[in-house]
Amino acid sequence: MSELDIAMQAAQAAGPTLENSGAAAIAVGLAALAAGYAERGIGAAAVGAIAEDDDMFVPGLIMTVLPETLVILALVVVFIV
Amino acid sequence: MSAGASNPEYVNARVRSRRASLFSDEDYRKLIRMGPSEIARFMEETEYEREINELGTRFSGVDLIEYALNRNLAKHFEDMIDWSQGRLYDLIARYLRKFDVWNLKTIFRGIYTDSDPEEIRTDLIRAGELDDRTIDRLLETDTIEDAIEVLYGTMYYEALTEAFEEYEEAGALVPLENALDREFYENLLEDLSRGAGDEPQEGPVANYIEFLQAEIDFRNARNAFRLARSGADLDPAAYYIDGGVLFDESDLNRLVGDYDALVDHISEDRRYGDRLSEALDQLRDADSLIQFEHALDAALLEYSDTLSSIYPTSVSAVLSYILAKEREVENIRAIARGREVGLDENEIEEELVVL
Repeated sequence: MSELDIAMQAAQAAGPTLENSGAAAIAVGLAALAAGYAERGIGAAAVGAIAEDDDMFVPGLIMTVLPETLVILALVVVFIV
Repeated sequence: MSAGASNPEYVNARVRSRRASLFSDEDYRKLIRMGPSEIARFMEETEYEREINELGTRFSGVDLIEYALNRNLAKHFEDMIDWSQGRLYDLIARYLRKFDVWNLKTIFRGIYTDSDPEEIRTDLIRAGELDDRTIDRLLETDTIEDAIEVLYGTMYYEALTEAFEEYEEAGALVPLENALDREFYENLLEDLSRGAGDEPQEGPVANYIEFLQAEIDFRNARNAFRLARSGADLDPAAYYIDGGVLFDESDLNRLVGDYDALVDHISEDRRYGDRLSEALDQLRDADSLIQFEHALDAALLEYSDTLSSIYPTSVSAVLSYILAKEREVENIRAIARGREVGLDENEIEEELVVL
């Protein structure tokens, strides 16, 4: 047997580098990152609006956390795998 | 100055909120029927409350309105410069520097005529990039030479030092004022793109550049009209500002002598011809420059409003606010001055720029 075959056998025995649950974790992480990026802009605009008009606090808060639904949806993946 | 991230979201949210609180058509209709003191009282119940209260003890009537308007305008524009960062700051400051130029001219004139610093102070519109400390120091100087020295390190310094010699020879302020204007207009379009031929072709920044070019074009056009009208034997090239798209220097020299050809030249231009056709017809008939400028302002205002809906996170909303605020200040001033000299309602209405 060549050295290459030995290496391949060893790899098969160890299983894939990324298990399903690991992949799901990365998916959630990426979604959270995207949500954070989206909230950056909305948050800046919301703070601007609140500075001009105090009544905008509640709408601003709601708008700011809306992209958080992305993470919640991505969390579904964790329960499926 | 343009380093770092820009923050259009924040600035837009604030600016849009302020845009919404400007006077509406209905307010203008009410204002037209009022006398100066009533207008001041009306303003006290709006946006301008603080300014009217601050200045109310020192001024009255139309002066009060005028100073309150200027101060309020300065406050809002100064705010925008404070908020914005990065590229956005760069774009906004380019245009607002025109108030710096205005302030410097006022200060120079004040020094030239030996006016009281307090009096000069009330005439300033502190909306530009120069900070309060520099302006206060400028007000304390007694000679123009000292004033120019205070400006060391700003973009005006070099141009002013050069013009100062000419001023000393001639003894008139014109060279200094021309130097300031020239510096402002030259900086208006400088460094906007990475090089010739690489200008942004579409999108908000392209439109902003178009707006700045229009500013130059119509400054040129206005100068040309005035020269054509007054028939003064001045060299048009001395007043030509580079950077516009409507004229080049030889065009201007040729057209100054011929009023009709000048109007034709504008209407043939594909950028302005269509949008301003109505205004240009008026200009031909009535040859009133004021009506033409008003039509131009209204067209710009409408256009910038449309742009700010198309490109929500860009400089367009700020531009639309700047224009709208300037119009509001000019409208109220026109109403107040018009009432003061006893124009009737229709005549005042013609002076207004309302969408």
